[in-house]
Amino acid sequence: MILEGPTYTDLHAVVDEVWSAFLGPEDPLLPALPDTGLGDGVTWSAATSVTGAWNGVVTVEIPDVVAQTATERMLGLAPGEDLSTEDVADAVGELVNMIGGNVKSLMPGPSALSLPLVARGTIASPSDLTEVSCLDLTWAGSPLRVSVLARRDVPARATDKQESA
Amino acid sequence: MSIAESSFHYVADLVRRETSMLYEQGKEYLVEARLLPLAREAGDSDVDVYVSRLMTDAAERRKAIDALTINETSWFRDNAPYQAFTDVLLPQAIAARQATRKISIWSAACSSGQEAYSLSMLLDQHLPLGWTAEILATDVSTAMLGRVKAGRYSQVEMNRGLPATHLVRYFTRVGSEWEVSADLRRIVTTQHLNLATTFPPLPTFDIVFLRNVLIYFDLDTKRDILRRVHARVAPGGSLLLGSSETTLDLTDSWEREAVGRVQVHRPVPAAGAFGLTAPTRAAV
Amino acid sequence: MHALIIDDSRAMRSILRRIVTDLGYDTTEAEHGQAALDHMEGGLVPDLCLIDWNMPVMDGYQFVQRVRDDPRWRDVTLMMVTTESEHGQIVRALAAGAHEYVIKPFTPDAIVDKLELLGLLVAEVPA
Ligand SMILES: C[S@@+](CC[C@H](N)C(=O)[O-])C[C@H]1O[C@@H](n2cnc3c(N)ncnc32)[C@H](O)[C@@H]1O
Repeated sequence: MILEGPTYTDLHAVVDEVWSAFLGPEDPLLPALPDTGLGDGVTWSAATSVTGAWNGVVTVEIPDVVAQTATERMLGLAPGEDLSTEDVADAVGELVNMIGGNVKSLMPGPSALSLPLVARGTIASPSDLTEVSCLDLTWAGSPLRVSVLARRDVPARATDKQESA
Repeated sequence: MSIAESSFHYVADLVRRETSMLYEQGKEYLVEARLLPLAREAGDSDVDVYVSRLMTDAAERRKAIDALTINETSWFRDNAPYQAFTDVLLPQAIAARQATRKISIWSAACSSGQEAYSLSMLLDQHLPLGWTAEILATDVSTAMLGRVKAGRYSQVEMNRGLPATHLVRYFTRVGSEWEVSADLRRIVTTQHLNLATTFPPLPTFDIVFLRNVLIYFDLDTKRDILRRVHARVAPGGSLLLGSSETTLDLTDSWEREAVGRVQVHRPVPAAGAFGLTAPTRAAV
Repeated sequence: MHALIIDDSRAMRSILRRIVTDLGYDTTEAEHGQAALDHMEGGLVPDLCLIDWNMPVMDGYQFVQRVRDDPRWRDVTLMMVTTESEHGQIVRALAAGAHEYVIKPFTPDAIVDKLELLGLLVAEVPA
């Protein structure tokens, strides 16, 4: 079966709207240069899963500096104020929640959206997931990545085999 | 980092030439904020480098003009004009058009079309059975006219003033956007029109929305536009301006009338030769 | 005027709080529907609830149903503010009794525009 995912254009539009609405329109999201990766610094990862008519996971990976800036802007704090780890996790979680919810509506429904999961570092994705769309972007000079993974739910329909035998 | 004076002048002249919109001294920050994303996208290190690119690149110039024209709009903007439309202006137009059973409306400076489609929703709800209506949406920006024709809006745009009941009733999801129904799109026609220059042939309209655009012009241009719009409003018809534009010192060719919370302008019939001529109808 | 802001994200509550405080509202915050109901059972009758959909313990949809079932809260205006953005979900929320619906992401103007539609813009902002 073909694993379905959102088109690059739609995914980009969703991420762009979330970014410009909450992090300000001055710094545009730009395509990353090939092979820049996320760098070696600390990264934050957040994921939310969609289950129902379409099954998959949406992840956001951003370096610490982007996570900090996002948190400051969402909480309305001045740059450089002390942020707790919980605050950053909460803000990053809300970003993936908004992207995830909008990705869900791009796919066949009805489906349900999970609460976000956030970690410092990377989140290992389960092996039954395949990447179907990926955006590598830069924002204010820092890299970020948004991916959509779809579940390979091999339908266990033994009857198919019997019929074709 | 701030835009050089020569770059600012170049850009201000360009916009003025193309649209008559004024970017006066003191608006440097605005020019910079609007061009910076384009500069980054083009790979230029700052806005001045980008402005020198504009001097030789016509396609980029179009993009810059579109970014610099203020397209800010929303559904049912300010609400009160639409309330007046439903409660008073449309019923008056209906009373006046019993013979033809046809209402025509002009959304001049329509931007991405929220004004025209908001009006089309109200027509869908309030126009009596057996009547037809036509909304002409015009703008100087061809990019904006393209958007009106497509009738597609982003999530962020949908949130701006559109009642949820209307979203559910008139829109469907298409990818990350929402598309206005074909029934509403059928009522709305687009045409390129620069308000600051002589108008192409136009019919007369029962109701004209000319909102949030005159503020960008100098006084002479404003007067000139209002004079030319005057001839396009049907006798007994109405003109609505933006909420900050109503205090303009209009000449005595207009009568002002309070309708609910808005000021409606009615053309005072011009005495003289043209007063008796039937309005010429041109193809739209 | 009093707004009850219901969202499991502190960042989102903070964004909404700043928008409605600027419009002259007092605010109370709750991190899920049950916490919001507890406030209301305790005597809070807000003019406006801003309600996320996906939350732990009690989601926003259930919250809307509970509030609509109770005559004490007949006059409370319910506005969903959520990333749930399918046509069908909006229909469901309206059918359950939500008055308005804002899809995340939104700009502050969106909240202002909706409150204007609902007649909930306070004319005078206290200095
Ligand atoms: C701020 S928007 C107003 C949109 C809508 N009427 C409203 O009130 O929300 C201004 C619009 O005027 C258009 N405009 C600027 N100069 C113009 C001109 N000379 N002729 C026609 N339209 C013009 C711009 O392209 C833009 O779409």
